[in-house]
Amino acid sequence: MKVSRILIILMLVFLLALPALLSTSLVNAAIQMLIAALFASAFNVLAGQGGMLSFGHSAYFGIGTFATIHAMNALGGEGLLPAPLLPVFGGLAGCALGIVAGWFSTQRSGVYFSMITLALAELLHALAPHLKGIFGGESGVSAMRMPAWGFTFGSSIEVYYLTLAWVVVSLALLYFFTRTPLGRLCLGLRENSNRLPFMGYSVHALRLSVFMISAIFSGIAGGLLALSNEAANYVIFDVNLSAQVVLNAYIGGVGAFFGPALGAAIMTFFGYAVSDLTRTWLLYQGVIFVLVMMFMPAGLFSISSWWATQRGRHAPAVLVRVLATWIVGCVLATCGFVIIVELLAHILAQDYQSLLVPGAAWPAVLLFGIQWQPGALLTWVLPAILLVVGIAVVLLGNRQWSYAQQEQAA
Amino acid sequence: MEFFTVSLLNGTIYGLLLFMVSAGLTLIFGMMGVLNFAHTSFYMVGAYLAYSLQEVVGFWPAIIISPLIVGVLGAVVERYMLRRVHQYGHGHQLLLTFGLSFIIAEVIKLFYGNYPVDYRIPESLRFSAFDVFGANYPFYRLLIGGTSLLMFALIYLLLTKTRVGIVVRSAIYRPRMVEALGHNVPMVFMGVFAVGAALAGLAGAVAGAFYTTNPNMAIELGVLVFVVVVVGGLGSLEGAMVASLLIGLISSFSVGIDYSLADLFGLMGAREWAEGVGGLLTLKLSSLAATIPFLLMLLVLLFRPSGLMGTRE
Amino acid sequence: MNKTKLALALSALGLALAAPAQADPLKIALVETLSGPQASTGLMYRAAVKYQLANLNEAGGWNGEPIQIAEYDNQGGPAGASDKVKAAIAEGARVIIQGSSSAVSGQITEDVRKYNLRNPGKEVLFLNMGGEALELTGDKCHFYHFRFTTNAPIRVKTLVIAMKEAGDLGTKVYSMNQNYSWGNDMDKSIKAFAKQGGYTVVESTLHDVNKIQDFSPYVSKIKASGAETVLTGNWSNDLLLLMKATRAAGLKVRFGTVFLDQVGNLANAGDTAVGHYIAHAFNIQAGDEAAKFGEDYKAKTGHYPTFIEPQTVFGMRMLGEALKQTKPEDGKINITEVARNLEKVKITTPMGEQHMRAEDHQVVLPIVVSKVTKDAKYKVDGTDMGFDIVKRFTGEEAVNPVEATCKMKRPA
Repeated sequence: MKVSRILIILMLVFLLALPALLSTSLVNAAIQMLIAALFASAFNVLAGQGGMLSFGHSAYFGIGTFATIHAMNALGGEGLLPAPLLPVFGGLAGCALGIVAGWFSTQRSGVYFSMITLALAELLHALAPHLKGIFGGESGVSAMRMPAWGFTFGSSIEVYYLTLAWVVVSLALLYFFTRTPLGRLCLGLRENSNRLPFMGYSVHALRLSVFMISAIFSGIAGGLLALSNEAANYVIFDVNLSAQVVLNAYIGGVGAFFGPALGAAIMTFFGYAVSDLTRTWLLYQGVIFVLVMMFMPAGLFSISSWWATQRGRHAPAVLVRVLATWIVGCVLATCGFVIIVELLAHILAQDYQSLLVPGAAWPAVLLFGIQWQPGALLTWVLPAILLVVGIAVVLLGNRQWSYAQQEQAA
Repeated sequence: MEFFTVSLLNGTIYGLLLFMVSAGLTLIFGMMGVLNFAHTSFYMVGAYLAYSLQEVVGFWPAIIISPLIVGVLGAVVERYMLRRVHQYGHGHQLLLTFGLSFIIAEVIKLFYGNYPVDYRIPESLRFSAFDVFGANYPFYRLLIGGTSLLMFALIYLLLTKTRVGIVVRSAIYRPRMVEALGHNVPMVFMGVFAVGAALAGLAGAVAGAFYTTNPNMAIELGVLVFVVVVVGGLGSLEGAMVASLLIGLISSFSVGIDYSLADLFGLMGAREWAEGVGGLLTLKLSSLAATIPFLLMLLVLLFRPSGLMGTRE
Repeated sequence: MNKTKLALALSALGLALAAPAQADPLKIALVETLSGPQASTGLMYRAAVKYQLANLNEAGGWNGEPIQIAEYDNQGGPAGASDKVKAAIAEGARVIIQGSSSAVSGQITEDVRKYNLRNPGKEVLFLNMGGEALELTGDKCHFYHFRFTTNAPIRVKTLVIAMKEAGDLGTKVYSMNQNYSWGNDMDKSIKAFAKQGGYTVVESTLHDVNKIQDFSPYVSKIKASGAETVLTGNWSNDLLLLMKATRAAGLKVRFGTVFLDQVGNLANAGDTAVGHYIAHAFNIQAGDEAAKFGEDYKAKTGHYPTFIEPQTVFGMRMLGEALKQTKPEDGKINITEVARNLEKVKITTPMGEQHMRAEDHQVVLPIVVSKVTKDAKYKVDGTDMGFDIVKRFTGEEAVNPVEATCKMKRPA
């Protein structure tokens, strides 16, 4: 427990100091990462703790964004509620929609629950373009952040601190929620909901409460997006956003409290950074999802719990060696794979194909500062070797690990 | 009368096409509890493979070979990917197939480009079957419908009248018992997945020539297929047929219906008020044609979650 | 994860410190949909912008330095675009270019307007190469936004006049459009020009965008209405499937379209397309200059300029002219000056003369209405069909009147 407390404090200090360390565009990325982390954590209340996989969570996020944007336009920053406090409206809207949608969804469980949430979200997505008064048509609704409390909120840094404040408070509230009796009952909902009625609880009411809490914080996250982007567009109700939050949560690991936040931060940064570097970044994203699901089913956070449980049994040096082997193998294999995909993408692109002259050698492709000749065998053999070697190193790490376990058992 | 007949024909054929794609999905779900997001990707792969093969071996061999390749792809996915993840629960399987759908779409874009490809019906099949009120009814549409009905008949017979079918059906209900009786249940699962994928591939090969073949095919058909499966009942083949026809007919008929809720209010004399309120009340049904299936899915899920003909709770 | 963040932070710090110092080259940012389902259009904007930028840089760039371009992927939506615009501005871009979606254009124009309000002296320009929603030069107009493409009224006006003169319009017109801002604009325009075109709009349909696979019910409606012509602003699958369904039913109607020259349309439509009309900004058969431009474009990018590429190239040329007349102040660029010069620039493209209208920053460019035939000299999409010119319009003849909702605040 102590170690994790220290880590949390370190993390907070790091986040507070972030704007001084990074350029403005990375601060913008950090704001999006924080919002995604809050959204994923709110989602996890329902999915990881309550055991209800929702496919339509973008509805509550989006309604929060629209509510906050309308509040920004209506309240104009004066009166009781200055601009920084407006995500509260996002939370309220999320709550309202959550009660209505949750009432219907929570009557069923399992796959049917997921399908109902998907249907509700898709209905909202389909209706939103027609309700121009509320959702503004394709260019959406826009507003402006008004100055408050002496800050103009004109620069990214101020928006960053505002978002950080909201996210920290919300995450703290969510964490304390898991410590309350209702939060504990969530686990019961997930593990054995048949038993709860015998203990005197109404399962439907419980499920609805959990749904509501998840929707409230999703709405707050949406409100933060409204503050940051100063615009809301019905495109936000798309099924892609719902899928993204599910992916983020599972990649981070739904078993741990901070797992989804971690997954969301990493995947948001990945999308942000890599999408500008290559056209095939969606392929890499898909491959990451598939590999994490297959080989790290408890998510990336499971690395730390693996470390925690195994440290009692093995010397740290052994663990570090195994971990290093795995990481080196992954890096090598990634390099090989990326080179092959990028080469293919360049060669198969239309503007390259138009440069081809029949009979002549294919022109070189500039990649990572090196000219690769498509006709040369080395061009293809080198990344293939990297890929194979990388996989072999990972398998070597597996073998090291199983030896270590056998030795320890002996 | 003309509107009714044409819509009936069109709706039926469209519904039969939906059935071709969703038959595999409902079987896979009924059997393994896996909601396969990559199913419509198999549909897309079938179309693209048929397009490539058509240039090499001609139209008819292409639409036979293409589903076979897709079936093999399905078997590989099940054996090496889904089987690993099965033990961790629904969420993981779903996400695996979701990631897979991304990968397939991107690989297709890598090799075939971002634009629609020129997969066309061969000249020999491009004639009119009969006249409907002065307009042609293309033969190829009937071919699509016919293939779908043939598929339905074959699978139904396979499941109910053959030994393999009995093993498959019992593996849906009591996989452990069937395993205890000595049958190779994992092999059965793999076979069902492969057959489901092959069916989707066949649908793609046949329909891709009539509709467009482009990298967004999977997404375009994606959610509608889920609606069909849910409305029909997860695991029920007959349900999938009924639901596909229902949704096909609804999509066709609703296009011609220009009434809105304001008209309904008009019957009660409150038309001006309704039009003054605007928004939802003045939306014409025809503008919402593509969203009615979701409403139907919602109603079914709320009042009869096992679907119209499903038995699995 | 802490370590990774630290490493990234350090490298970002290094990059930030390596910012350019003196004679500042001009940085342009292309914020487009470069991946995902709508990438095909975004990639065409990229090809067109890079083509003309190479020409501009060959002619000397600006301030003696080549103009730099950075590409940003807006990940398919307005929210992603907003992030990338902020990133682009933070990395020094002074001109933002985008075109593939009116929704994204709407977001970017608002972001740029707010940024300019909050940062006087460091303004940023937004060059809209393709967002055709009327409101961008209507109630969302502002001094630093320039639209270099057409809009719905322009397309409908030219289509209607040309088709009427050719005797192919008829008196009964069906308006088939997509249910969003562009389709709504088209629908309104088609109804507005009914008197001038001498037709009645027998029926108008607004259908879901890119969701419909089976257009045969709509074809039945067209048949039932007795229309002779269908005027539509549909693009991509919505246009293709509509035409295929019409052909399959054997229905003889004439189509007047806006986006028939999108890549893949003619190849997929086949002979169905013969006889249909399109109103667009460029036809390679419009003379020697046009052919020269087309061949040069093909040599550098691999395909003839089509769809949205010509107007993008012409727009970049106008930017080049405006930049030539803008002298550096203290080694830096004054974007307000560039904007003022853009308002005054007149260029001559292979299609004729074009200039920018100062009241709403809508480009006034020549339009050509073409018809699909099998006798065209330049074949398209690998088929045996091409576009033959029916009528050409000058910029003044084609352009729409200034929207009353545009109240542009000009800098002092």
